[in-house]
Amino acid sequence: MKILRFGAVGIAAALTLTACSGGDAGTGTASGGSQGAEIRVWLVGTDTPDEAREYLTTTFEKENPGSTLTIEEQSWTGLVDKLTTALSSSDSPDVVEVGNTQAATFTSAGFFAPLDDIAEDLGGDDLLPGFVKAGTWEDTFYAAPYYAGSRIVFYSEQVLGGAPVPTTLDEYVATAKSLKTADRSGLWFPGQDWYNALPFVWENGGFIAEPDEDGTWEAGFSSPGGIKGLTQVQDLMVNASNAPKDGDEAELQVPFCAGQTTFLSAPNWIRWSIQAPADAEAPGCPDTFGADLKAFPLPGTQAGTTAKVFAGGSNVAVATKSGDVDLAKKALTILLSQEYQTILAENSMIPARKSLAAALPDDEFTQASAAAAANAELTPATPKWGDVEAQKVIQDALVQIAQGGDVETIAQQLDAQIESILNG
Amino acid sequence: MSSTTLQTAPPDAAPAPRTRRAPTATRLLPWLLLAPSLAALVVITGYPLVRMLWLSLHEYERAQLLGVPAPFVGLDNYVATLTDARFWTVTARSFVFMLVCVVLTITVGTLVALLLMKLGRVMRLVLSLGLLLAWAMPPLAAMLVWGWIFDSQYGVANHLLTSLTGNDWMGHLWLIDPVSFFAVAALVIVWGAIPFVAFTLYAGFTQVPGEVLEAAQLDGASAGQRFFRVQVPYVRTIYVVLIVLSMIWDLKVFTQIFVLQGIGGIKSETSTLGVYIYEMGMAQGHYGAASAIAVIFTVIMLAISAYYVRATVKEEQL
Repeated sequence: MKILRFGAVGIAAALTLTACSGGDAGTGTASGGSQGAEIRVWLVGTDTPDEAREYLTTTFEKENPGSTLTIEEQSWTGLVDKLTTALSSSDSPDVVEVGNTQAATFTSAGFFAPLDDIAEDLGGDDLLPGFVKAGTWEDTFYAAPYYAGSRIVFYSEQVLGGAPVPTTLDEYVATAKSLKTADRSGLWFPGQDWYNALPFVWENGGFIAEPDEDGTWEAGFSSPGGIKGLTQVQDLMVNASNAPKDGDEAELQVPFCAGQTTFLSAPNWIRWSIQAPADAEAPGCPDTFGADLKAFPLPGTQAGTTAKVFAGGSNVAVATKSGDVDLAKKALTILLSQEYQTILAENSMIPARKSLAAALPDDEFTQASAAAAANAELTPATPKWGDVEAQKVIQDALVQIAQGGDVETIAQQLDAQIESILNG
Repeated sequence: MSSTTLQTAPPDAAPAPRTRRAPTATRLLPWLLLAPSLAALVVITGYPLVRMLWLSLHEYERAQLLGVPAPFVGLDNYVATLTDARFWTVTARSFVFMLVCVVLTITVGTLVALLLMKLGRVMRLVLSLGLLLAWAMPPLAAMLVWGWIFDSQYGVANHLLTSLTGNDWMGHLWLIDPVSFFAVAALVIVWGAIPFVAFTLYAGFTQVPGEVLEAAQLDGASAGQRFFRVQVPYVRTIYVVLIVLSMIWDLKVFTQIFVLQGIGGIKSETSTLGVYIYEMGMAQGHYGAASAIAVIFTVIMLAISAYYVRATVKEEQL
């Protein structure tokens, strides 16, 4: 017993010592020469191409000899919960990617280290303004833009046949409805896909929520424009789509590759999933429906315009509890560097620096995406917005709309819920 | 059953030390033997419990996780919870769901236990293995498989129903209607709970003396009478334990509901207490409010267990 106990004390002491020395190394680099620190970077999903990952690791290790950088890939599902736990623990990652609409949840609660001192190195005024706003809280800059993207409408020429590509939103709805058969949707529109429902609300003059003069939020799904937009959404979900009425927007390449839909509105980079090799781990259909893949930006109410769409994308930030904030900032600077952002642009992701847009490939998917992004809208700028997403109130309302519920009643209930969360 | 013997021990043992003092070592020995489990309980259950009580009395949000002091708010979190209509809806829903699951689990578990009694050696082994596998499967893995079974487009449930009934079931959404959602959830939960109930009851039934059953049969008791008048009374205490445990397990169910909500359905109409606490705490960062709900939930659980403890103690004293 005694021997065992002394052994345990010894191990515990050894652990404490190593923990201390780890901490020492951290503070040591803060004052000067970096020696042997490890930086952990959390990237989310598979969106970041391998080329960029490699560039980040090698560049960082070359610029900071002795230190290492590890990329840990996280999943979008449950990201806010996981970040909350990890960023407040003693084993926090150093640099993290977070969805642009989720950023305020963390910037407002002190999870991220201020970046004002390196804002110019990161790109300054060249950064995407909407994303800078999303990463700023009470005039302090906490989370830099990482990349942006927007949804565009994909179709396969062989499926669309001779039918003309719609030029207005009304035409789009009419075409999608007319193309629906028992086995094939005109438009794949699962009930929970709120990102694709928002353009209809915005285009008809509705809004998600806006602050009053006294700062209280007023939700706008039950405004006349909101009702009109949601009625269009219901028309599409019921009369143009065979997608599950309670399904979400994950793995959208699967129904497309199975030939179950004519139109598919999805982020522009889903192209890579659709055209992935047939023997890949997540197979695409490069030889069938992916062979003649085309895309266009969602048209607006007037011919020749594009619809206001949801601005998707990510922000990146340094964790307050990082063992070595200064070294983590160096890693962040690489993520925002000309070279790194050019790699992202070449892979069809809209880069965080506006000046690099020229590096985007000249294919129709990227062009369509850039056209859509020019008219992109964000969710309300309040940290409580994260609660609205966490409670899935919009998704729940849309599922009821997809089932043919009364749009006006559902919209009023939805607005009441959103207002109670944002003003609570 | 071991718990009941432990509880009866103190009254018998108590008078002894009073008459003649036992040596210190003898008096300390029980505590020494208990020490490891007590230490584990304090660390694993005690500390979180105290922390939960503390949290429930403070305004504790995400910012507090990073060291911002948490203001003391007294019973505000409790008042907010108890006056929130959503809390009562979720609680009522959880209780109804729990009752359905417990009745199903105990009924089917009993039937499987009786089947185990009647089966021959080989078939009993096969059935036991099947039960063990169902029991050994982690709930999360099981949920993913069940989720696929009830998938609206590719699920085997819709496929089987289509080929059996001739009607078109493909595309049927099992999770969109709350009642149907809970039917699927109950199926999965009961499926996972039956093995334990069946094995325990089977162990109990084998302890019923054969001669008593034989005597009852000679006296002209039917199979049903023998079951309800002889076998069930013999294993009554086992039933009490199983029912109370099932009530607690089914009330605090989390994984199954949480995963099913990710697959489909309407979140606001299908949350049970466990999921509700998670939504409030982890998903939205209102840790103080979530702790208040958790404390209320714990009190409910304690009330259920207290009934069981009292019932067993009373039984032993008779």
